[in-house]
Amino acid sequence: MTSPFRLLAMALVVLCPLRGAAQTDSPPLSPRSIYQIGATWTDDAGQRIKLGELAGHPVVLAMFYTRCQYACPMIVAAMRRIQEGLPPAVRARVRFVLVSFDSEHDTPAVLRAYRRQDGIPGDTWTLAWGKPDDVRELAMVLGVKYQRFGDGQFGHSNLITVLNGQGEIAYQRVGLQGDDGAVIHAVSLAAD
Amino acid sequence: MSLGSCICWSFFAALSGAALAVARPCPAGMALIPAGDYKLLLGTPDSPPSFPVPAFYLDTHPVTNGEFLAFVRAEPKWRRSKASPLFADPGYLGDWKADLEPGPRAPADSPVVLVSWFAARAYARWRGCRLPTTAEWERAAAAGYTSASGAGEVAYRREVLGWFAAPSPVPLPSVDCGRPNIYGVRDLIDLVWEWVDDFNSALLSGESRSDSSLDRNLYCAAAAAGARDFSDYPAFLRMGFRSSLRASYVMPTLGFRCALSP
Repeated sequence: MTSPFRLLAMALVVLCPLRGAAQTDSPPLSPRSIYQIGATWTDDAGQRIKLGELAGHPVVLAMFYTRCQYACPMIVAAMRRIQEGLPPAVRARVRFVLVSFDSEHDTPAVLRAYRRQDGIPGDTWTLAWGKPDDVRELAMVLGVKYQRFGDGQFGHSNLITVLNGQGEIAYQRVGLQGDDGAVIHAVSLAAD
Repeated sequence: MSLGSCICWSFFAALSGAALAVARPCPAGMALIPAGDYKLLLGTPDSPPSFPVPAFYLDTHPVTNGEFLAFVRAEPKWRRSKASPLFADPGYLGDWKADLEPGPRAPADSPVVLVSWFAARAYARWRGCRLPTTAEWERAAAAGYTSASGAGEVAYRREVLGWFAAPSPVPLPSVDCGRPNIYGVRDLIDLVWEWVDDFNSALLSGESRSDSSLDRNLYCAAAAAGARDFSDYPAFLRMGFRSSLRASYVMPTLGFRCALSP
């Protein structure tokens, strides 16, 4: 039995210590960290990313979809106001993430066009596409409800979530009418 | 247990499915729910009144304590003492005696309860299945004992309403006790509530109205004009129940079963 199996086994023996070493580099996740979900997303530049890569940064995150006419533009606008309202030292460290509900329509290319059209800053904002299962799981962790209607629209919670550096939910703003100041305060605390 | 229904369905499929090159056998412990329509309880003015649900397999009974034990043996991170608080509230498997011992309050043949949506989904994946969608679950539950629509059967209506009226016994009865519906599926309407994969699509509660102005607009309009069949109030009750859940919740009358696409 000199076969591909043996070669594979040898390859595994060689690779395993490397993997082990790579994993021990990152500290264990907090039991409340949403980075435990571990899904892989694709950003609007076509890069595969995990939300856990944002560990160490305070994060302002919302779920949305690009064809949304009403609530989502208001959520994105609120996030931009929040970014501008942050003290400069904090602002530099904060990351902003938009994850689409609409896996079918909001491909990375569509998200890229949305970013261009909306003038969303390139360096601190991530626009993410994910598989429907992963979108569902993220929504469950955040407590976001959504339902796809037949006409390409979604009903959904309007929720802006602040994550601390560990990926724990530090604050959630519910609804569209909330106070930006409270979110800015929460982000500043999460940055400490 | 009710493998009979599966064998029966495989046989039926073999007879009727001459066009199929290979008749896929029904997975053990599951029954085929044929394709059909799911009538939306509420909708936007623009949404269609119903949409098609492709055929799928559904467990003939809810997942039991005994079956869940095999899962937590294989997946230590889902044992009671190990489960992440992100994925299961305190009380997860709280009626079990120990991590690997369900004990007298959780008999092996009774449905597993006090499991979160995350735990239910992890179990389903471990078994190579998934959770049913709301539409799939409701389609299966709408079937009567002798016809595809229980609404027309007196015995079915009595059973489904009787369950809402009666307190749940402790410990819960065996999953074998329920009367199978026409597809050979038991316990959908008379044992425990069950998780569905997209329970968070129920945009109904006071909570969701306050946090979702879009669904407030849609829901209020729909409630005024869009409710299509008020007679199916068990389905409305289930929708209300689902809308009150969060994925980490655990409850003593909330279990689950698995589904699979052919």
